[in-house]
Amino acid sequence: MDLLSGVSYQRLEGALHAASLRQSVLQNNVANVDTPDFKRSDVQFEQLLSQAMNGGHSTLIGKRTDARHIAIGASGSIPDAQVLTDKTTVFNNSGNNVDIDSEMTKLAENQLRYNLYIQQLNHDVKMMRTGMGK
Amino acid sequence: MILGSFDISASALTAQRLRMDVISSNIANAETTRASYVDGKFVPYRRKMVEVAPVDTTFKNMLNDKIDATGAQGVKVTAITDDQTPFKQVYNPTHPDADANGMVNMPNVDVLKEMVDMISATRSYEASVTALNASKSMFSKTLEIGRSS
Repeated sequence: MDLLSGVSYQRLEGALHAASLRQSVLQNNVANVDTPDFKRSDVQFEQLLSQAMNGGHSTLIGKRTDARHIAIGASGSIPDAQVLTDKTTVFNNSGNNVDIDSEMTKLAENQLRYNLYIQQLNHDVKMMRTGMGK
Repeated sequence: MILGSFDISASALTAQRLRMDVISSNIANAETTRASYVDGKFVPYRRKMVEVAPVDTTFKNMLNDKIDATGAQGVKVTAITDDQTPFKQVYNPTHPDADANGMVNMPNVDVLKEMVDMISATRSYEASVTALNASKSMFSKTLEIGRSS
């Protein structure tokens, strides 16, 4: 019986991983706020997850034998978080496109999101304990 | 994973602190006419500038980054360079370093520019401290996973 590998845990695990990765990436953006020609990055996960959950439009489904393979079609599994770099925009005259206000806002949002996921995970654990009669 | 993110903010704090030190040096030497002695003549102080770059610029790091998608890791100071703009010429015949025409070479430090840079360095430092505190609180939150309350 798979007690702790339910889809809820898998989704939360993926979301937590994405949030901690996003924290690193945002911190890196803030660290490089004065670096000439630096381009900001962001982490995409929630959108990919909702796409995967709603099912892709393609009927062709690729089988993945390695975590680094690119998923083809709706795989039904939890998508990997992706780091995307915004190379096209310019924010100031040093070629850097880090907007410190937007970074700090995203940082705060990501922190709350992370706390929410932890709370939800703890809730699931609590339910499991209740189910076991403890 | 999260512990690695502490290093990112730490590198930013170090870099901004160094910028602050260099700016302090520029302001302190804004009137220094005898910074060095070259060919029997005193040369005024030259304004110093800090060059920063992302840490991840080697091929190995970039390749690992593409495979694991862990993101670049922090910032580093690559060089402290001299500002090559000409010295300010000031007419002051009573100055000990005045030439035959009464002109004195003064450092190419613009205190106004230094103040603006100083504010920018302070704000960047504060932003990194905020990011570091966010990481700290996330890390302690992680330790609460599965804890029965």
